[in-house]
Amino acid sequence: MEEIREIIQYREFLKTSVQKDIRGKYKGSFFGVLWSFINPLLQAVVYAVIFPYIMRTQIENYLVYLIIGIIAWTFFTNVINAGMMVIQMNAGIIKKVYFPRIILPLSSAISGVVNFLISCLVILLFCIFNPSIGVSWHIIILPLITFIQFVLSLGISLALSAINIYIKDTQYIIQFVLNLMFYATPILYTVDIFPESLRWVLMLNPMAGLVDAYRCIFMYHTIPDFSVLAYTCVVSVVLFVIGLIVFRKLEKGFAEEV
Amino acid sequence: MSENSIEIRNMSKSFKIMYDKPLTLKDRLISWKRNKYEMRTVLHDITLDIKKGETVALIGVNGSGKSTLLKIMTKILYPNKGTVKTYGKLSSLLELGAGFHPDFTGRENIYFNAAIFGLSRQEIDKRMDEIIEFSELGAFIDNPVRVYSSGMYMRLAFSIAINVDAEILLIDEILAVGDQHFQEKCFKKLEELKNSNKTIVIVTHNLQQVNELCSRAIWVQNGVIKLDGNPKEVVKAYLEECR
Repeated sequence: MEEIREIIQYREFLKTSVQKDIRGKYKGSFFGVLWSFINPLLQAVVYAVIFPYIMRTQIENYLVYLIIGIIAWTFFTNVINAGMMVIQMNAGIIKKVYFPRIILPLSSAISGVVNFLISCLVILLFCIFNPSIGVSWHIIILPLITFIQFVLSLGISLALSAINIYIKDTQYIIQFVLNLMFYATPILYTVDIFPESLRWVLMLNPMAGLVDAYRCIFMYHTIPDFSVLAYTCVVSVVLFVIGLIVFRKLEKGFAEEV
Repeated sequence: MSENSIEIRNMSKSFKIMYDKPLTLKDRLISWKRNKYEMRTVLHDITLDIKKGETVALIGVNGSGKSTLLKIMTKILYPNKGTVKTYGKLSSLLELGAGFHPDFTGRENIYFNAAIFGLSRQEIDKRMDEIIEFSELGAFIDNPVRVYSSGMYMRLAFSIAINVDAEILLIDEILAVGDQHFQEKCFKKLEELKNSNKTIVIVTHNLQQVNELCSRAIWVQNGVIKLDGNPKEVVKAYLEECR
């Protein structure tokens, strides 16, 4: 409770950090904030051109399918990558000023959400201008799914941001793990290509359920599978609690170790 | 008397001094068990109460643990043993201008810096004029901080930190800011804060200041409190020891 009160007290700091994250990242580049979705978009186009040849995938509206998957995935990796480095980047103020340290990973997670919501406009445009897709009321579920992903990625980045201060290898190991997870998540393919008996292994990955849920509301205009969403929710909360405990335990040494 | 602002109970702090700090996993695996390090205890079993409204000077030779004690009061460092409790809003001036961004203007940096101290937007807006006036930067306030002279930089930073309206102010050897005129102004401001019942803890080597400003002096030597009491007596004893 004390922590929450403190975060509210430091809300102006949280706000300025988020603003600096979003504006500062692309400062001086011609397209500015546009880069936050030009990149995933270009990536999606590349996959859309190449994959139908090598995989012989027959997915309807494959480009939109990819765009949703990649934008959701970019949200996830952005929060983790930025969050992992954020303590290190702010070593100067950590050593000199007291403030609730959790503000730093929290602010990178919030800027991730803002970037993602901007990118969702691109998804919407692709859906609107594709006569076979369109838009339905299901997108009102978007905030809920986004929130679950926010909790999930914040939890992971809390733990990693703290561990990375003590063991600098973490960032390289995580790069590899994220790479691996990209292919373990149904972004480029559908779960249907696996036999029914194996699919549950794939769905253990909480990102699989989230990517699927985004597609349900944007593309298929259905309500996401409730049991999958509930599972994702539980995993996210558990990871968040673990992340918070790890962070709280390690933050006391930041000023000495960083 | 009145209630405590800072309560320190049986507090010890030691640093791990690594000869070869293992940063990577490989280093850690290689130096498993034959890791050479020593624990250097910087503060031994300190128990200290600082009452509300007191102006306390921490004096002592370099490396005696004054600054570490101050950092522990701020909660930048955490003790290995014992507890530290503070009551009231706390502001610390450990190093001026931490968190300044050279490319932003003085005014923008006031927002960033004051936000780090935990002020809200309205609170900053309310203090803006006062901060600018105190810093005496005039038209320079809308120039990027990177074009400031080091004195101007310090003046801005000091003006922000002193105007945070904290109940407890922790200051580390930074009263030598700016020219004679600005120093006197800072000194006056501190006296004003002192008279408005704020708690102030200063680490300083300027013993004359200790005599003039402080109501209590604490002499820290080798991580223990050697003498605690009336500034005149403590300073006298300290000077005798130093000779």
